Amino acid sequence: MTASTQSISLAARPRWWRRIWNGLAILFASKTAVVGLIIVLFWVTAAICAPLLTPYSPTAQDYRAQNSGPSAAHILGTDDLGRDIWSRLLYGARIVLIMLPVGEHVWLPLGTAIWGVLLGLLVGCTLGLVAGYLGGWIDEVVMRVLDAMMAFPVILLYMIIIAAVGASATNVVLAIAIVGTPGIARLVRGLTLDIRTRDYIRAAEIRGERKLYIMFVEILPNARGPIVIDAMLRVGYAIFAMGTLGFLGLGLPPPSPDWGSMVASGRRYILAGSPWAALWPSLAIASLVVGLNLLADGLREESMRYQ
Amino acid sequence: MARFILRRLLLMLVTMFLVSVAVFAITSAAPGNVARNVLGIQITPEQEASFLAQNGLDKPIAVRYLYWLIGSDWQAGRLIGRPVRQITTADGFKEWWAVERDGTLVQWRVEGENLIIRQRLPDGKVEEKPDNGRWQIKDPASEAARLAAYRAALADDVEIAEADRQAIGRAVERILAILRTPGQDQAALLAALAGPEGELEALRDPKAAGRKQALQKAAAAVAGNDALLKAIAVYRTLTGPDAGRLQLSDQQFMAGQLSRAAAQLRERAPESATQLQRAYESLKAGDVRAAVTALEGVVPLLKKLTGNVGDLTDALQSGRYRTAAEVLRDLGDPARNPFDAEQMATLPALLQALANAVDDASPDVGRPLLQGVTALKAGKADEARKAFRQAADVLAGVGQVLARSDAAGRARVGRVFWGVDTQNHAVRWETGTGKDVWVFIQGTGWKAFAGGPVEYVPLQRGLLRGDPGVSLRTGRPVADLLFIRLRNSLVLAAAAFVIVMPLALLLGLLAGLKEGKPLDRILSIGGMMFSVTPEFATGIFLIVIFAFWLKLVPGATVFGEKAPWNRPEMLVLPVMTLTLVELGYVLRITRASVVEVMKAPYIRTAFLKGLPYRRIVIRHVLRNALMAPITVIMLHVNWLLGGIVVVEAIFGYPGLGSYLLESALFKDFNAIEAGAMVLVVVAVATQLLADLIYTLINPRIRWSTS
Repeated sequence: MTASTQSISLAARPRWWRRIWNGLAILFASKTAVVGLIIVLFWVTAAICAPLLTPYSPTAQDYRAQNSGPSAAHILGTDDLGRDIWSRLLYGARIVLIMLPVGEHVWLPLGTAIWGVLLGLLVGCTLGLVAGYLGGWIDEVVMRVLDAMMAFPVILLYMIIIAAVGASATNVVLAIAIVGTPGIARLVRGLTLDIRTRDYIRAAEIRGERKLYIMFVEILPNARGPIVIDAMLRVGYAIFAMGTLGFLGLGLPPPSPDWGSMVASGRRYILAGSPWAALWPSLAIASLVVGLNLLADGLREESMRYQ
Repeated sequence: MARFILRRLLLMLVTMFLVSVAVFAITSAAPGNVARNVLGIQITPEQEASFLAQNGLDKPIAVRYLYWLIGSDWQAGRLIGRPVRQITTADGFKEWWAVERDGTLVQWRVEGENLIIRQRLPDGKVEEKPDNGRWQIKDPASEAARLAAYRAALADDVEIAEADRQAIGRAVERILAILRTPGQDQAALLAALAGPEGELEALRDPKAAGRKQALQKAAAAVAGNDALLKAIAVYRTLTGPDAGRLQLSDQQFMAGQLSRAAAQLRERAPESATQLQRAYESLKAGDVRAAVTALEGVVPLLKKLTGNVGDLTDALQSGRYRTAAEVLRDLGDPARNPFDAEQMATLPALLQALANAVDDASPDVGRPLLQGVTALKAGKADEARKAFRQAADVLAGVGQVLARSDAAGRARVGRVFWGVDTQNHAVRWETGTGKDVWVFIQGTGWKAFAGGPVEYVPLQRGLLRGDPGVSLRTGRPVADLLFIRLRNSLVLAAAAFVIVMPLALLLGLLAGLKEGKPLDRILSIGGMMFSVTPEFATGIFLIVIFAFWLKLVPGATVFGEKAPWNRPEMLVLPVMTLTLVELGYVLRITRASVVEVMKAPYIRTAFLKGLPYRRIVIRHVLRNALMAPITVIMLHVNWLLGGIVVVEAIFGYPGLGSYLLESALFKDFNAIEAGAMVLVVVAVATQLLADLIYTLINPRIRWSTS
């Protein structure tokens, strides 16, 4: 099915339906994207259905089976406290992808990594729009501050933020957002500089629209394409960052099933003869990040060809 | 060109300034504090305060930043009234001394309430002599206020006998009258005070401070060596007001103590041991609430097994002698301590340790205690009880003497002196407050000082003058370790760089030339997978494959005193991890750049001209395609630094990254700051280098700027 026949045959259908159909068509045209999508969907399903897929609680300890390898009772084995690794992986995926623990019993929908990116998008887009559209000294100040932030070694920024505010899911979200903001702001500023020279912006200005309206209603929707693809890459990167923070002991506090912390605590037992506790979460995080990147890469390539 | 470099350097300075301010602000605002990280959670609030003060951490953040940036010696010199100077001794240590008007170098120390001056002779030897003439009376008005408050508080002090209390009260009245007489100078005040202060002196026991300290030390030793007492202490910490401040490392540490207590009880009280074990597992897994619940069931039994000796050691450490004597008296009470089989399994050994320790500190209490323990072990419970009651009486008496002496000391008018101490601080000493100040001396441990140092200015030259200060974690200058760690990291990065660059450029060129072919697909997707996989995951895969399954190379790095290049086999896996992660990134950039250049009109022209393929690639494609990767790689250094931190953490590699991580977890200010400064310099310098290289290989820019 070629692009031209598609758009003709779908011309009569409702707009949102056509848009989704077009998006899916792009997606399924790329093998890379499909493979990526399968991996990502696997983890999302696993995260949603976690209680159905394992009989164990992620924090239940089994004193009789510590550091055991894969077996019928524990598919992927157990860690040093006798907790089932498969169950911890599933519940760990929940924290990453579908729920954010903000308090003892309070959860927000969408995972830690996604909230981090959303928050970064919110701040980054605002800064980028303001700097790009208003220009002048505001642009100068915002960009210099962001430059300084970008010259700051990322890892140091993470370490200091977490060391300062303590390790918790909300703080990991904050750290990811703070680190991601400068990049997003630069991207959006670049797009804004381009779009604001267009005729429809001038038209809006002549109509006497407010600046806020122009920035968020005229410019932002027209810049969404690159922002969305960038955001998808950023989710992969946020998961990467979450894992790294957990590994360095700056992630979610135990006994949360945090993938990075699982690797860190399992690492000590590899050379003692039980590599499972470190190996499985490493594989999990690697597969999820690779999947997201495959998806974003495939989409980007395909949409460029499509255009 | 020169202007460009100058601008970059200026940008670097501005960034360094901003980073240093940010690091300072964020780390100071953070919860938890370095004292507890360095000294452990079981330090007392006084000890914590002492540690913070000694390191200048009690000062306002702006003052601390100023000291860190430009040094504190000028301020110290102003306070002391003479300049201070840093010298390097023959052994290579850096020491600070005050300079007298005649040029001699001096330091002071306080022993009891005597000020002693240490003069450094030209040959490096030190001569000590008393120097009490330098004490100044503290501000009479504030001292009067303090003493008035103290007199009121004295009425409630149950540790002191009534007669002593009245005698001290009378002396305080007279001192207050003198202090409140206006218009007296130092000399007149000193003369007038001689009378009442002499009376107070008579109430003091010159050995009291020493005995008090000895008892405190003995109690601390007993409490610190007994697993069951420690388990009780863990319970108290977990339920205490500071429980919210506990950090992960604290919990792990306390979990270890519970595990030891469980091991000790395994044979004598298996059920309690299981309960303790459960508390240990929960605490280790970070579940504090479950640990507390598990402990709640065991603590009463633990208290019985230890005969409440924990309360006794606590009371001795905080100077509550009546409470301590009460515990001893309870030991003589069959209703409270039946000395049944359960108690007899653990108590005699603990009491023996207590008796031994107390006997060294205060033989008059120790003797009856020892007798009691001997009788208890011989099975003569009644005789033992009698001895314990006797020990309780003696302890109560000793306690009264110590408390009286303490109170008389506090009732004196304070004296004050600013000088340089032997640990590189400018110090304000105060005497006459009678209060012991616990001071942690790194390498020596805790020491109590009667003439207490009450304010410190840590002496340092400041970053701008080349002194990044002292690491709070090790007590040694940051610069000592920082450069070794930096060197190790550079070795790692350089090894990875040398491998990655040629390989990645070559593979990227191949992939770019074969765009869309299977080779390109394999290389780009493979490269992407390696570059987006977190370093720690890659590292774990490599360890599992090469160190665990194949057993080819070591899976961790241990250098000891050796430099990394002396143990190349240990470098294999860290370098490989970095290589894999970086390889994919550089490969993809190179590929993209090659693809773009291949589409350029001049390449098409070259093909149409009939030039051989190899010549086109080498002469036209290569040079133009390499420009983008080289700059991008240099800008990527920032990212690479993060990778190095993680790789160092995986393999326990002693580099700058792990140094920074440890320092950040400890909140070791000076070390974090110094490390951050090095990172900023590295990041900005590589960006500068990237620009220079780009200018050199790109004739368009080279010609336009010159």
